[in-house]
Amino acid sequence: MDDLKTLWQQALADIELHISKANFLTWFKNSKLVEKNDDTGAVVIGVSSHFAKEWIQGKYNKVLLDILQNIDDTITRIEYIVLSSKEVEKKLFEKTKKVKEQPSGNQVGFIEFSADPETNLHPRYVFDSFVVGSSNELAYAASSAVSREVGKRYNPLFVYGSTGLGKTHLIQAIGNEIVRVHKKRKKVKYVPSERFVNDVVWAIRSRRMDDIKSKYRNIDVLIIDDIQFIGGKERSEEEFFHTFNILYQNNKQIIISSDRPPAAIPTLEERLRSRFEGGMIVDITYPDYEMKLAIIKNKLQEKGFSLSDEVCGLIASKIQRNVREIEGVLNKLYFYKELKNSDIDIRTAEDIITNTLQQNTVHIQPQQIIQTVEDFFEVSHADLINKSRRKEIVLPRQIAMFLMRDMLGMSYPDIGDKMGKRDHTTAIHSYDKISKEIMKNKSLNQKVILIKEQIQKNPS
Amino acid sequence: MNVIILKNNLKEGLSILSGIKKESSQLPVLKNILLEARDDKVYVTATDLEIAVVHGIPAKILEKGSVAIPFSVFLQIIQNVSSERIHLEKEGNVLRVYTDNYTAKIATTPPDDFPIIPSIEESKKQHVVFDINTLLDGFSSVMNASQMSDFRPELSGVLLHMLHSTFRFVATDSFRLAKKEYIGKKIDTSFQDDDSFIIPLKTVQEVVRIFSNEKGTLRIDCDMRQVLFETESTTLISRLIEGNFPDYELVIPKEFDTKVTCNKDEFVSALKVVSSLSNRLHEVKLEIDEDLKHMKLLSSSHEVGESEHLLTVKVEGKPLSLSFNWKFLFDGLKHVSSDTVFFGFNSEQKPSLIQSPQDETYLYVITSIKSG
Repeated sequence: MDDLKTLWQQALADIELHISKANFLTWFKNSKLVEKNDDTGAVVIGVSSHFAKEWIQGKYNKVLLDILQNIDDTITRIEYIVLSSKEVEKKLFEKTKKVKEQPSGNQVGFIEFSADPETNLHPRYVFDSFVVGSSNELAYAASSAVSREVGKRYNPLFVYGSTGLGKTHLIQAIGNEIVRVHKKRKKVKYVPSERFVNDVVWAIRSRRMDDIKSKYRNIDVLIIDDIQFIGGKERSEEEFFHTFNILYQNNKQIIISSDRPPAAIPTLEERLRSRFEGGMIVDITYPDYEMKLAIIKNKLQEKGFSLSDEVCGLIASKIQRNVREIEGVLNKLYFYKELKNSDIDIRTAEDIITNTLQQNTVHIQPQQIIQTVEDFFEVSHADLINKSRRKEIVLPRQIAMFLMRDMLGMSYPDIGDKMGKRDHTTAIHSYDKISKEIMKNKSLNQKVILIKEQIQKNPS
Repeated sequence: MNVIILKNNLKEGLSILSGIKKESSQLPVLKNILLEARDDKVYVTATDLEIAVVHGIPAKILEKGSVAIPFSVFLQIIQNVSSERIHLEKEGNVLRVYTDNYTAKIATTPPDDFPIIPSIEESKKQHVVFDINTLLDGFSSVMNASQMSDFRPELSGVLLHMLHSTFRFVATDSFRLAKKEYIGKKIDTSFQDDDSFIIPLKTVQEVVRIFSNEKGTLRIDCDMRQVLFETESTTLISRLIEGNFPDYELVIPKEFDTKVTCNKDEFVSALKVVSSLSNRLHEVKLEIDEDLKHMKLLSSSHEVGESEHLLTVKVEGKPLSLSFNWKFLFDGLKHVSSDTVFFGFNSEQKPSLIQSPQDETYLYVITSIKSG
């Protein structure tokens, strides 16, 4: 495959010398060598449009053949095909783009076009595309068990984890899997808890509670996303409680997700909490480096887009908290590549990633980092900045220095200064040590991520 | 090349090419059109590398040949020349355009530099022959519901779908959907059941513009990558949109909370008058209260004021209060052919339907604007 690419690169470089730039760009842009048959000596060249095919075939066939034969004398003839627009990766309407007024956010669209109207499940969320690693293998195992033995094994299944780690993906995948296996025999319904609340509110307003009851109570698999939003909304909680009981008594499967464990949802009623806790509770935690790398590779494959291993590694190490951010960065890189039509080197990638992450770090002061680290480890400010070498002080101190470098990009002398007039080499050592340590030590990594989250949550 | 041609014929021919965008920073030759004199006709060709149009103009051919000339200059000359008969003669690298009392010399580009117009792949070719009016009616009934979209390129066009010996024209921008059907029994076609392809919106607009003056039949050839529209004098070839059109049947509602029948013209004029005070979202609210006899159309805009219009309508079902983008409503009503119009309304989350009670071949599905 790479051979074809290099061969074509060589040929293109040569062609460029023979024809004008305008012609080259128009006809050879997005072309590629698709296939080379060593037996017959035929090569297949894919071009971007039918016009390009006619043109190259009619005008440049001989030149092209000469050039190719110069590079590889086994080639005897050329065939041409038109690549599909997806392969060409170009915007179809670049030139004719006419921005009509976009309907506002309130305009209801056909949700059916993306999600299944019956189940509300999005077809893109399936087990196959879910990357399993140590941070989510328990959740994954429980989920696939549920999809195999609906309503019997783990009921209710409660999945919790921070935002952007794949809860929705996982619970929708259960739904999709059940639909796939049981066809239409099992009635699956995916409901964001917000929708449930809206339904209840609507029913109260229009005095149609019976509709709600019948809507939610004859379901075989009820999937409720982000249940924490239901907390504190009494009528919805009550309605949900009854629905839950009825479904549960009839051995119907209930799957719930939340951003925290049931015990930590502050306004949730006690009787609901105890019911959630009666089933299987699994968590999804932050992915480690290797898993993030796997996720990146997966996404790249989905998009048909490639990046060097170096850049992938950079993304995986820079983005700590959130898989969704990875997707965001990838999209940016992708657009960048489209725009410049060149490969992305490590420097550009670094810029793009820092830009993306910077939105979060703009208002953070070094003082905040120190404060949060102190709070987290429950050490006093005096302890943190004095010369103590006690282990329980040294680690927080190093983490604080690491974070100042990592989140704010402060200079080492500056960091040393902030931490009780230490030498800059101490700062360098701390940064290097923690950087290495979080790669190896999972629990430390979790801690660092938690602290970061705290810092970002409480901008002073 | 040396020809004599009638001004009006040439003018008409050039106007057919005028819709093809002839600006290209990349390839200057696209600003040109190709003139080819052969077989009693002068063929004029323009392309933007997405669409190509070839049109034949009857002429007296004294000498065959071809030449590429800049379109805009040529068009200006032909539009303003007063004589009926125009001579076109190629002399070296220039085209001499002359009449009894006028001469112009236009610098030309070698015809070889003009793009080669692709053709449909013979082995995969399917065809259908339409009455031109039928085809144009099908396109214009639905094309307003389509919109250029980079995110969903498959919606930036009109779907032509052959199903159960009907031809369906479908377009949607995911906020509304229009569908027009033709019973295909008498239609000459080699398409199989459930074959479909998506024609880019730009192409549809050009087809409607170019062929609207013609009568008779039009043949469509298609190899599932490209489509060719062909009449005796004109051919248009275009790339198709690749991708899968969403399952449009899913969004067509079958049940309704409130069914309303009313006079179409009354509704349209009420909508027009009320729309003048609608807000930036073009929002118009339709209300039917418990008595189920009248429909109220309401609009209000913070800056300008508010208005309401009362209509007597026939209602079946529940009271109603729903907001719509009036432009979307209007797009749908335009193609209802009968005097009365049927509305099937549903609650906010679900789409509603607009249709003629007499004519089931056309329907329009519309989503509402969330209130508040």
